[in-house]
Amino acid sequence: MIELMSGAAPSLHAQVRDLYETPDTTLNLSLIAGKEGLENEITSPRIQKLGLALAGYVDYVHKGRVQFIGGTEINYLRRLSDQELREAIQRVFSRSLCCILITRGLQPPLILLDAADRNRVPILRTPVLSSVAITQVTGFLEEKLAPRTSIHGVLMDVFNLGVLLFGVSGIGKSECALDLILRGHRLVSDDMVVIRKLGVDRLVGTGPPDFQFHMELRGLGILNLKELFGVSVLSRAKTIDLAIHMVRWKSDEEYDRLGVDESYQHFLDVPVPLVTMPVAPGRHLATLVEVAVRIQLLKNQGYSPSREFVRQLDQLLQKP
Amino acid sequence: MIERTVRIQNELGLHARAAAKFVRIASQFESDIKVARLNSHEEIDGKSILGILLLAAARGTDLNLRANGRDEEAALEAIVGLIQNKFGEQK
Repeated sequence: MIELMSGAAPSLHAQVRDLYETPDTTLNLSLIAGKEGLENEITSPRIQKLGLALAGYVDYVHKGRVQFIGGTEINYLRRLSDQELREAIQRVFSRSLCCILITRGLQPPLILLDAADRNRVPILRTPVLSSVAITQVTGFLEEKLAPRTSIHGVLMDVFNLGVLLFGVSGIGKSECALDLILRGHRLVSDDMVVIRKLGVDRLVGTGPPDFQFHMELRGLGILNLKELFGVSVLSRAKTIDLAIHMVRWKSDEEYDRLGVDESYQHFLDVPVPLVTMPVAPGRHLATLVEVAVRIQLLKNQGYSPSREFVRQLDQLLQKP
Repeated sequence: MIERTVRIQNELGLHARAAAKFVRIASQFESDIKVARLNSHEEIDGKSILGILLLAAARGTDLNLRANGRDEEAALEAIVGLIQNKFGEQK
């Protein structure tokens, strides 16, 4: 396994405020109670529906999950007597909650709003249906809570394949990226790549949020790529489909000559196909990266050029 | 310059991984190393993997090895040893 400079993974959490204020959903959330709890932490992308808890079974109410109240819950509460309603709400708030989300623009009983204010549990309301809201909240939180790491490298989109170039400082990653840009490929990030794991095995890389499209080239200083080359050579995020480790050529080192063995580099426990690329004068890296991508594209379609060569050779050798 | 003839003895012949071993050993020496099928004039560079592969030397093929340089003796000894040892393969 190759040692990578990787940033410590920050603890994964989101505040209720992040969900309330995000422009990334179309939930049109309004805050109808408990605004003092906006700093409460959401720790899981999975939501819960509050139905069973309102009916008395509160054991599995998770503090770090968004609690949904939809039509079923509201109709249930309407059927209760004042006394039963008070008890139901008391039982629910006996557990700590981060926040409650009411769907379909429904009007909750006032006693619920009072309890939320007292317990500093924000109540958010959206006009959309529960099913839509669940998808959007889960999507937003999965993104926000995704395991992440950062590595020193360059992420490019080459022929629509996400290519992560990494290797020691000064090996020529940025120069290679510049060549690839001039050939019409797109840059996602130079120098620092933030990698997030979405779902089980999808890695997505982006740049640092503030200075994503900048590059430092020795002798030229810091460049703004958007100004120099335009928006069409840049891409905000890209999946990571191929890793290229750039290493200094050593004459006594053994490099892959056949290309029939597969190796992988793990990021956040997800394996990514790895190519180790020795760097030496006369080896034009951008060209080599482009070819490595073409090979990977063929492999993704189930065809390996070098294996095919070996297969043909074996046939030849076995002829009587 | 020295010269040796050696016969490929392993069942699979000079296949891809065997060729990789051949080239790895040849590259450890400073001498020029040339390889040809016996009685052929097509000579290839013993440090070129593609060249070795294109020999397509099946079992029973005789190869003519030539080395030229300071460590020519050691180079041919190592390569002949590899071939006679069936590239470390069972059969």
